[in-house]
Amino acid sequence: MTPTRETFGNIPLSSQLAFYGLAMVAMGIFCWGVWRRWKLWRLGTPIAFRELISGNLAAVWKKIRPGARRVVVDAGAQQRVRGHGLGTVAHVSLYVGFMALLAGTTLLEADNILSHVSGALKFHRGLYYVIYEYTLDVLGLAFLAGTLFFCWRRLRRPAALGHRPTDWYVLVSFLAIGVTGYLVEALRILWSQPTGITAHCSPVGLWLAGIFDGLTVSATRRAHFAVWWIHSFLVFGFIASIPFTRLFHFIAGPMNIFLAAPSLGQLAPVTMEEVEQTGRVGPSDIRHFSRQQLLSLDACMECGRCEEVCPAFATAKPLSPKRVVQDLKGLMEATGAALAAGKTEGPALHETTIAAETLWSCTACSACVNVCPVRIDQLALIIGLRRHLVAEGGLSGTAATALRRMQSNGNPWGLPPVERANWRDGLAAKS
Amino acid sequence: MSTPAAPTCQENPSFEILYWVGCAAAYDRRAQRIARAMVRLLQHAKVNFAILGKEEKCTGDSARRLGDEFLFQELATANIATLAKYNVKRIVAHCPHCVNALLKDYAQFGGSYEVVHHSQLLADLIRAGRLPAFPGVAAGPGGAVTYHDPCYLARVNGIHEAPREVLQAALGGASLCEMKRNRAGTSCCGAGGGRMWMEENPQQRVSTERAKEALATGAKTVATGCPFCLTMMADGVAANGAETRVLDLAELLVERLGL
Repeated sequence: MTPTRETFGNIPLSSQLAFYGLAMVAMGIFCWGVWRRWKLWRLGTPIAFRELISGNLAAVWKKIRPGARRVVVDAGAQQRVRGHGLGTVAHVSLYVGFMALLAGTTLLEADNILSHVSGALKFHRGLYYVIYEYTLDVLGLAFLAGTLFFCWRRLRRPAALGHRPTDWYVLVSFLAIGVTGYLVEALRILWSQPTGITAHCSPVGLWLAGIFDGLTVSATRRAHFAVWWIHSFLVFGFIASIPFTRLFHFIAGPMNIFLAAPSLGQLAPVTMEEVEQTGRVGPSDIRHFSRQQLLSLDACMECGRCEEVCPAFATAKPLSPKRVVQDLKGLMEATGAALAAGKTEGPALHETTIAAETLWSCTACSACVNVCPVRIDQLALIIGLRRHLVAEGGLSGTAATALRRMQSNGNPWGLPPVERANWRDGLAAKS
Repeated sequence: MSTPAAPTCQENPSFEILYWVGCAAAYDRRAQRIARAMVRLLQHAKVNFAILGKEEKCTGDSARRLGDEFLFQELATANIATLAKYNVKRIVAHCPHCVNALLKDYAQFGGSYEVVHHSQLLADLIRAGRLPAFPGVAAGPGGAVTYHDPCYLARVNGIHEAPREVLQAALGGASLCEMKRNRAGTSCCGAGGGRMWMEENPQQRVSTERAKEALATGAKTVATGCPFCLTMMADGVAANGAETRVLDLAELLVERLGL
């Protein structure tokens, strides 16, 4: 007999229809959630996105290639998740398991649709089926192992990590999805009694089925039906919750990686024309950041890697790059809400949201930019805000003096330019 | 009259490479020794170089990073014009902030040059045999050396092997001990982003923390490749109550060559 299994086996048509109905609802909530964030990003200044996708196919490909490559390498191959010990291992493990299960479910649905068109098109059978079942069965463990690590880590509440109440919902629902997934498989094995390779290609499910051996067939079918629904509800809850929890990095992370290529050591220039047009230097309102910069705020997972490498944070100065990103994100949300309520602006950006002392604490060492897994450019945010402070005369003390000296004497020491080559006088003597 | 040891572009119009001295080595007494060490090395290797002398201005790096974009642009425009006047194509600088500004910032304003850090030029000269290396010879009186990677050199511009090559040559393969955070993962000395010009609470000094890490290697000498890191690391070593020497890699090489 060809190894395969019946899709929606033991699930009556009425439940199948309810399943698709609820799936639509979950997707609807997901889309609505994404649209809400999208509207917030659109508060920012436009980016040249149209320009990116205009021209013939070859021209477009040439323009989007670097971004596409970053998405494939940084996110797809998890290259920017590297370098954080067990955290990296767990993330890659969870990610690989998750992507396999996502791809598996998508393939299963494709097979389901095709087999409705013609039975001959059904591909979920034979060798493909054996490989499919085995892969998903094993990678489900990777998914669970990664999730368990993150539960353990969150219990220890490391200081660099952000903590939100919804984090536990996400982790517990991941665990529940994994466990109920295996239970559905085990119970299905029990009532359908596959033999040979068809059974052994699901080693975890088969092992779990052994535990429940002894149930009557009808009890098994009832349990299978119930757990299948629980599993489905959990998955719908997961899909609907993506834009409202930390899971949103699935969406905003790759989007930011695609659009942003923070090049270390480079800053975007400000032109006089720009200043004449806008009447300001540097952002004084959250809406003065670009749409890509606002999107980058949503990509932040609060993983805390930037904070861990920040020399200002390490020496107890009032700066954490993560805090800056999160505070700006909060301001973006508050501004969006204020505008929706008919006000003309949200809370103030400078001082109220980001203190000047925070901005002056940065050494521009670029360590945060270098470690951010989703390529947020914290330094560009900070220097943009510094530009505004400087233009408003907000810099005083020794640093302001150094700037004045650069202006008048061409060097921050304020010494006469004619003395600039006096160091040569010492060349005759040693040292 | 023979040309001076460090001629200006006017004094040596046929120069092949411009030595960008930078403000620190021009005015700071301690950093001036880096420039003098560099000149000795360039002369020893018979490099045909020139300096801009009093025509050189601050690159504007810290102005830009402090947020004074228009002061930076003013300085950049002036320097780009001076460099154009002398038809400068190749530049060597011992300051990573100057390297980054000349290479990345100035490119945005029409200034395009081949810019190398002095560690890269020195490594090339050693490889070409124009500067001697000391393979297999035990380290000099300095003993073991640790190298502090400047952020704008190692992380921002990916230059971390050339300085080590120079140090290996100077130390004769003796122990170059690495700090825990090195190369692209280096940790800041505290001077970047204009912080060089700000007062820092002694209890909160970034330099004290970084120097602690350097001292933990047990090295007798802390080497670096940036005049600002040099100042900060020297302060940090002192703040930790240590007497470890802090030197630029060019100074170490000069010491080794007995120039």
